[in-house]
Amino acid sequence: MLEQLLISASFYIPELLSILLMCFLLMAEASHSMENEHGSRDKIYGLGIIGLLVILGACIFNFTKAPTAVFYNAVIIDPFSTLVKIIMVLGTLGSVYLSRSSKDIYTNLKSEFMIMSVGVLIGGMLLASANNMLTLYLGIETLSILSYVMTSLKRDDATSAEAGIKYALYGGLTAGVMLFGMSHIYGQLGTIQFAEMVTKLSALEGQSFVVLMISFLMFFTGIGYKISCFPFHMWSPDVYQGAPIPVTSFFSIVPKMAGIAVLIRVSMIFFGTGSAIAVTWIGLLHVIAAMTMTVGNVTAIGQSSVKRLLAFSSIGHVGVMMLGVVVLNEVGVQAILFYGIVYMFMTLAAFYITSHLSDMYGTDTQDVFKGLIYKHPLMAIVMVGVLFSLAGVPPFSGFVAKFNIFSVIIEKKYYGLAIIAALNSVISLYYYMRLAKTIIFGEADSEEKVPGFTGLNQTIIFVMFVPVLVLGVFWESIMNISGYAKIFIR
Amino acid sequence: MNGLLNWILWLPIIGMVGVLLTPKAKENAARYVTLATTFITFVLTLILWCKFDNTATTMQFAVKFPWIESFNINYSIGVDGLTLPMTILNGLLFFLCTLSSWTVEKSVKSYFALILMLQASVFGVFFSLDFFLFYVFWEVMLIPMFFLIGIWGGENREYAAIKFFLYTFFGSIFMLVGIIALYYATGKGVDSFNILAHQGGKFVAEQVVIFGHSFSFEHLFFWFMFLGFAIKVPIFPFHTWLPHAHVQAPTAVSVILAGVLLKMGTYGFLRILYPIFPQAANDYSTIVAVLGLISVIYGAFCAMAQDDVKKLVAYSSVSHMGFVMLGIASMSTQGMTGAVLQMFNHGTSTAMMFLLIGILYERSHHRWIVRPDGSKGFGGLSTQLPKYTTVFIIGMFASMGLPGLSGFISEALIFLGMYNRFTTITVIAVVGLLIGAAYLLWMFKRMFFGEVNPDCKEYEDMNAREVFYMVPLCIIVIVFGIFPSPLLNMMKVSVGQLVDLLAKFA
Repeated sequence: MLEQLLISASFYIPELLSILLMCFLLMAEASHSMENEHGSRDKIYGLGIIGLLVILGACIFNFTKAPTAVFYNAVIIDPFSTLVKIIMVLGTLGSVYLSRSSKDIYTNLKSEFMIMSVGVLIGGMLLASANNMLTLYLGIETLSILSYVMTSLKRDDATSAEAGIKYALYGGLTAGVMLFGMSHIYGQLGTIQFAEMVTKLSALEGQSFVVLMISFLMFFTGIGYKISCFPFHMWSPDVYQGAPIPVTSFFSIVPKMAGIAVLIRVSMIFFGTGSAIAVTWIGLLHVIAAMTMTVGNVTAIGQSSVKRLLAFSSIGHVGVMMLGVVVLNEVGVQAILFYGIVYMFMTLAAFYITSHLSDMYGTDTQDVFKGLIYKHPLMAIVMVGVLFSLAGVPPFSGFVAKFNIFSVIIEKKYYGLAIIAALNSVISLYYYMRLAKTIIFGEADSEEKVPGFTGLNQTIIFVMFVPVLVLGVFWESIMNISGYAKIFIR
Repeated sequence: MNGLLNWILWLPIIGMVGVLLTPKAKENAARYVTLATTFITFVLTLILWCKFDNTATTMQFAVKFPWIESFNINYSIGVDGLTLPMTILNGLLFFLCTLSSWTVEKSVKSYFALILMLQASVFGVFFSLDFFLFYVFWEVMLIPMFFLIGIWGGENREYAAIKFFLYTFFGSIFMLVGIIALYYATGKGVDSFNILAHQGGKFVAEQVVIFGHSFSFEHLFFWFMFLGFAIKVPIFPFHTWLPHAHVQAPTAVSVILAGVLLKMGTYGFLRILYPIFPQAANDYSTIVAVLGLISVIYGAFCAMAQDDVKKLVAYSSVSHMGFVMLGIASMSTQGMTGAVLQMFNHGTSTAMMFLLIGILYERSHHRWIVRPDGSKGFGGLSTQLPKYTTVFIIGMFASMGLPGLSGFISEALIFLGMYNRFTTITVIAVVGLLIGAAYLLWMFKRMFFGEVNPDCKEYEDMNAREVFYMVPLCIIVIVFGIFPSPLLNMMKVSVGQLVDLLAKFA
């Protein structure tokens, strides 16, 4: 038994490191003297970033290992989950670094963000590797509970508090519905292990189908809420707007990637084999993907707050990523992972710039972007490049990501879906271009440069922008890495 | 030797980097770097012409190496008789546009850098033999255009820039769906992104199912791709972005837009749409011809109604590109030859018109033939600006299609080619020529004759720089009006192949 646990733990190093890191940071924060607050924060952030880098290294080390189910099949470590973890760790690193220069978080708070983001990361990792219903639920809850707190980090801000409550209420409800659905699935199939469920599923027929369909629908509610797809997306704009910007950037990467990962895993395991119930699930995903894209993009048009615009656009992007799930095959997963990697870089860069501007000018409406090209050319060029990339214009990597998604759905001959996705691309281009227009064509109120954007910050956004550009032209290696990250069922 | 095409394609990008590296204080440095780059590029295109073998039936100067191997995407470029006229035109117009942009004062470095980027992407579209590469260039072209219209344009430039971008993107995203569908229809093989390998009606028997309805692959994706190219041409009813983009764009950008960018659309018809979907092309030729006819007549009437001279020329572009579409729809040797020739000739004559309007605008700062309050914007220019008037007459008559000037030959060939297939449409289309003559002459009368407008007395005639960049165009429209055979020989083989291919599916 002990031996088994130790072997399992050897595969579980990234997660264990994260847990250690979180505990360590918590103790470091608690044990530090009340005076000299600023110094302690710097240290904790420094340690946190180093810790995350170590975790990243551990993940990369795990990537090439053969897929293994550990902890008595509760958790599966395969290249797929490891790649998702790598994306999440990178996203956390980016957001943490972003929070260092954010007024809301770094100046007004202690190191809560640093600590809690590691906690959410643990939840996300658990979710990405979940191999049974219980681990899945555990992951979702770990992820969610800390997310609620993170949303309300701006303590004396009413919208932030409102967002936190909204998130918690919505989350509690969907988690309940999900658990209800899970219990029915368990009642029907008699097991919580994914692999055993699949075999039981194919043996079922007749009446149990109706119950199962409804229970799977309820099960989907929990996942759908986490990735904020239609019709469970209502919380996301308010939460995104209420939360401090680093939190928003964090939310649009880590919980989302974890949710997408679990959606892929569940869809592939249960419905990838072409069981009779799969038709319902695929139909459901069809409609939901199409609606998610459309609702996200159409609603984004009317937004004046850039944060909110990015929130709605991220709903649109989730819809596009879901298209890769609809096809239920390995190339679909490959396309989603590529999309996830690219999306992470684009989101980080976009939020980085938005955060800085909104800190400087106290608001995040599109007006603060007016004439940015005169105030800070580098920032403006990066932002416009990222917007082009988000819209899917070559030669930026967003185009390649979109191309791959289009490619997999057309391979499956889902032309209707492809047309909807194409129309959505045009809609999204419209609001991205409007922001780009404000940045480039708008007349600046004053000629003065954007203050406080130091050389280091410039280097960081540049580093984030390089992959956005380079992956648009030389994308084969990353594509191969995504292709290597196949899902293993055990 | 094979590197020649690569040089033509990438030299502008090298020039762009050069422009960006010039010191900010010395604006002239950026101008001279651009001038040198575009001039060398133009000379290279002429060298390309000299080395071009008019009798070869395959792609010449082809370069091919793998780009994304797992998707069979190649960096594959080459030229044939359809591409070469456009290549030369592109080289020439950018060189002249650099000269005409000498007076641009706003962010000079960025302006010329974007111009060079635009040139490279246009070359890329014409050279690409790989669908993915083609699409990338096709879309990359939008980025410099967006900024060039949006930053250096007229009063309503932001609207025009966004409309242009969105409209084209709308068309091309459907084209992308078509490209990917072709990729899978050919089984993801080595040639799945190879434009030439798709040609020859390989998809006639394929079927697709959308929302439970069955469609013919060929006929469905014909329209997907059609949308992308038709918006670019633009054919009625997709032309509404064009007048805005033209009116708001700075002179050089208008010239490039009308001169080469619109040709990318018709080039798409000739290189991609018709050879890949020959059956659908035959089946729908009447629809294409009717749309072309509407463009001719409607564009001409719209032009007649304009009070803004630049808008007038913009609508005349719609009308003239309609002739190209008619020629393409005819699918006969004369018609197709006429269409390709018209692409070249319209490129030169419209470029002249836009350059001339730009020259006038620099003096008058308005373009009203009749101002909104009803008074005349210009008048009696012929007595004030004799050199300008002379050049304007050549440009105008070339645009009108007067015998002896280049426009006549191509239009005559188009009518000859289409008469057998679309007799009624030909007869109506000839009326378009008449209306064309009417609006141009009427415009000329109102601007150049009559009482001299007091404002016009202060205008200076064309200076040496302006004369220098107008003269080559004058020579071209006259020489190719009398002696078009160099151009005709160039395209003969390629057009012949295309016509033969289409005839098999008639």
